[in-house]
Amino acid sequence: MNRWVALVALAVVALAAGIAVGPAAIDPATVLRALAGIGDHTTIAIVRDLRVPRALLAFLVGGSLAVTGAVLQALVRNPLADPYLLGLSGGAGLGAVSAIALGIGGAWGVPLAAAIGALAAIALVYRLAVVADAVLDTRVLLLAGVVVGSFAAALVGAILVLSPSEGLRSALLWLLGGFDGASWSALAIFAAYAVLPLALLYRESRMLDLLSLGEEPARFLGADVEPLKRRLYLAASLLTAAAVAVSGIIGFVGLVVPHAIRVLWGSRHGALLPAAFLLGGALLAAADAVARTAFAPLSLPVGVVTAIVGVPVFAVLVRRWAT
Amino acid sequence: MGDLIFETRGASFRYRAAPDDAVHQADVAVPRGALVGIVGPNGSGKTTLLHLLLGTHRPTAGTVDAFGRPSADWRRRDLARRVAVVAQREEPVFPLRVREAVALGRYPHVGPFRPFAAADAAAVQRALELADATQLADRWIQNLSGGEWQRVRLARALAQEPEVLVLDEATANLDLRHEMEAFSLVTDLVHAQGLTGLLVTHHVNLVARFVDRLVVLDRGHVVAAGTPAEVLRREVIERVFAWPVAITEWDGVPQVVPLLKGRHEGRGTGRRGAAGQEGT
Amino acid sequence: MRVPVSRSTELSRLLAGVAGLVLAACRAAPPPADAAGAATRVVSLSPAFTELLFAIGAGDRVVGRTQWGDTPPAALAVPSVGDGLAPNVEAVLARNPDLVVFYASGANAAARERLETLHVPTLTLPMDRLDDVPEAARRLGRATGTFARADSLATAFARAVDSARAAIPAGSRPRALILAWEEPPIVIGGGSFQNELLTLAGAENVFGDLLQPSGQVTLETIAARDPDVVILLDAAGMPAWAERPEWQVVRAVRERRFVPVTGSVFARPTLRALDAVRVLERRLAGSER
Repeated sequence: MNRWVALVALAVVALAAGIAVGPAAIDPATVLRALAGIGDHTTIAIVRDLRVPRALLAFLVGGSLAVTGAVLQALVRNPLADPYLLGLSGGAGLGAVSAIALGIGGAWGVPLAAAIGALAAIALVYRLAVVADAVLDTRVLLLAGVVVGSFAAALVGAILVLSPSEGLRSALLWLLGGFDGASWSALAIFAAYAVLPLALLYRESRMLDLLSLGEEPARFLGADVEPLKRRLYLAASLLTAAAVAVSGIIGFVGLVVPHAIRVLWGSRHGALLPAAFLLGGALLAAADAVARTAFAPLSLPVGVVTAIVGVPVFAVLVRRWAT
Repeated sequence: MGDLIFETRGASFRYRAAPDDAVHQADVAVPRGALVGIVGPNGSGKTTLLHLLLGTHRPTAGTVDAFGRPSADWRRRDLARRVAVVAQREEPVFPLRVREAVALGRYPHVGPFRPFAAADAAAVQRALELADATQLADRWIQNLSGGEWQRVRLARALAQEPEVLVLDEATANLDLRHEMEAFSLVTDLVHAQGLTGLLVTHHVNLVARFVDRLVVLDRGHVVAAGTPAEVLRREVIERVFAWPVAITEWDGVPQVVPLLKGRHEGRGTGRRGAAGQEGT
Repeated sequence: MRVPVSRSTELSRLLAGVAGLVLAACRAAPPPADAAGAATRVVSLSPAFTELLFAIGAGDRVVGRTQWGDTPPAALAVPSVGDGLAPNVEAVLARNPDLVVFYASGANAAARERLETLHVPTLTLPMDRLDDVPEAARRLGRATGTFARADSLATAFARAVDSARAAIPAGSRPRALILAWEEPPIVIGGGSFQNELLTLAGAENVFGDLLQPSGQVTLETIAARDPDVVILLDAAGMPAWAERPEWQVVRAVRERRFVPVTGSVFARPTLRALDAVRVLERRLAGSER
């Protein structure tokens, strides 16, 4: 019980930090007043229309990435899996860069194209990995993901060299991950969209426990393995594609957070998934606060911060794992 | 001993793009309350036959029934409530406590949502006791020895409270003591609690001393089925395992003694060959 | 996401190097310079230098330009040799140059070295600030035998810039944001030549304290600095993202105070820089209404 209280407290603190901390130095008392609608118009707008939705969105995305990471790790029975494993990051990059090269701009042009690219990559990987009798072969899945991802990345390189658009360099920066596009409407859209896959994945907690044992033990313990894998794959892919559309590719959250929870909690997904959601959300909300404040007025891509934090944490976890 | 748990009639199965049937025209019957052994050399189709019985594959010819219905038609969860399988190997990738691992055996009963009840916890405890694994309950499964992990998986199978317990080459990596204990435990459960037991193995001699019925497979065909005394005859064993043997007896059960090729064929015991040695 | 550009660039450089060596071995004598030793076949690896060469009257000597070198219109007739920061050495050599002009940057250092090893004369010039323009003009003039014309243009330019600096009106100045990209928001900082244009136009860069030419910032920072007007580089008309909810926090966006500018004169220092300053002045005055 203590652990859950601590985790929820951590999440609350991280969200509070996301709202209280920022490059426009606003002291906590003023932040509170601004939340209540009192004070200077710009300060109120910064706190209510920028910081609050941004902190909440970072939290939701972080939580979603952590859950997806845990699910994919069980699906491919590999602790090194992360949400972008299945060719997804390459596909998203290709979609984003193609949109800019073709001049498809507009408010939602690039995110939508990134999501479509990600889904196309996933569909291709799925098609490659479905072998005889509609069985989803996990090893082929992993390899196909690497192949499709690399191919997409190569195409991106070619487009970057051959196309004259200056915006392409910025497309790469967007892909590095960030919450600059956060607003209440973006938050609402992502929340509405993420609820279903998250619920579906949580529902499968026990089946994930079985799948983690291996396909044959899972089958003998009552799991209908093939439909289960398809459902998991679909839900995880949709969730990750949505996260990429809203905030680019943010690494390490989906890889490291499930491990941290496993070391403390064990691998029962009934506890692992909600705990991972809370920790992933807290991590990303805090990382975003750091990314936009540490070198103010300059802003770091949030993916850089998660990597800087994630790598040493991962090293510690690996040592712990090995002993 | 009335109804049949498993029954196959002329069952055949061929893997996709394989030139021959892995199992051909097999007639196998496993009655309730029996302890049945399935033996044969590597590649004889033991595992394929098992998968047919458990509904993992649908037969390409003939019928395979479990509890009176075609095996492949059973919903996985329904079958898992009645049949528990302990396989030869399982590599744990993610950390779990032993008690949690054994509790997974309750999933076919509790399903995806129903919370664990007192009855489930009691079943887990009973399973740990039967498998002699209670002292392991709070340890991480990654830190267990091979034998301890085997007992834990056996406990998990017992937590399913099955009517049928299947050991698929489950003792292949165990030392003598643990293997004997595993077979003894299954035998006790069959006789004392009315379970049905299915032992798939290639330790012919050992399994012959425990089971009521023995089925011998050779390249997908059932070449003999009956009591160990009926089945373990020199002509059969020599043909199936492609090695000269002699048949002795221990405790009323025939035992296979493999001979040294080209030397002293026909002798019972020699200085080099010891009685009770395992068959191939 | 990792893009394997470095490996493919490495490979193409290697191939280009080998090809260059083969080509050099095949060449007869190097092309003759004119009597004064001035270069007659110049490859310009930066659009700023391409434009400058034409302006000082050495346009007929330009035999190669980068793919981005589109001014003046006459430059389009000159064959392109590809990119300037990652030059294709083979393509440059194929133009048989007796002078290759490089923009001073670490990125093309390797290409420079390779050409020097092959005994092709190179000239490396900075071109980041307005004050770089007269110096570059004179050096190019000297190298191409057009020094007289180059020197007079350079002197006139320097004088015009000096008087523009002296004429900056005192008193309150409009505060402007120069935005290069919107997501993530990338602003032009104090270390850029666009900042110089803005200052000469009598305005203040809200990110003038940034030492680098550009940087990524958050919307929050922009909102806090509250610019009066947003200058958009390489844009025409109202941008689509002006409607987005999160941008409404910035007053200038809310009030639709945009100054979109296009044209190479805003992208790089040229002899026409003061035209850009006048355009900015006019547009800034107009946006105040």
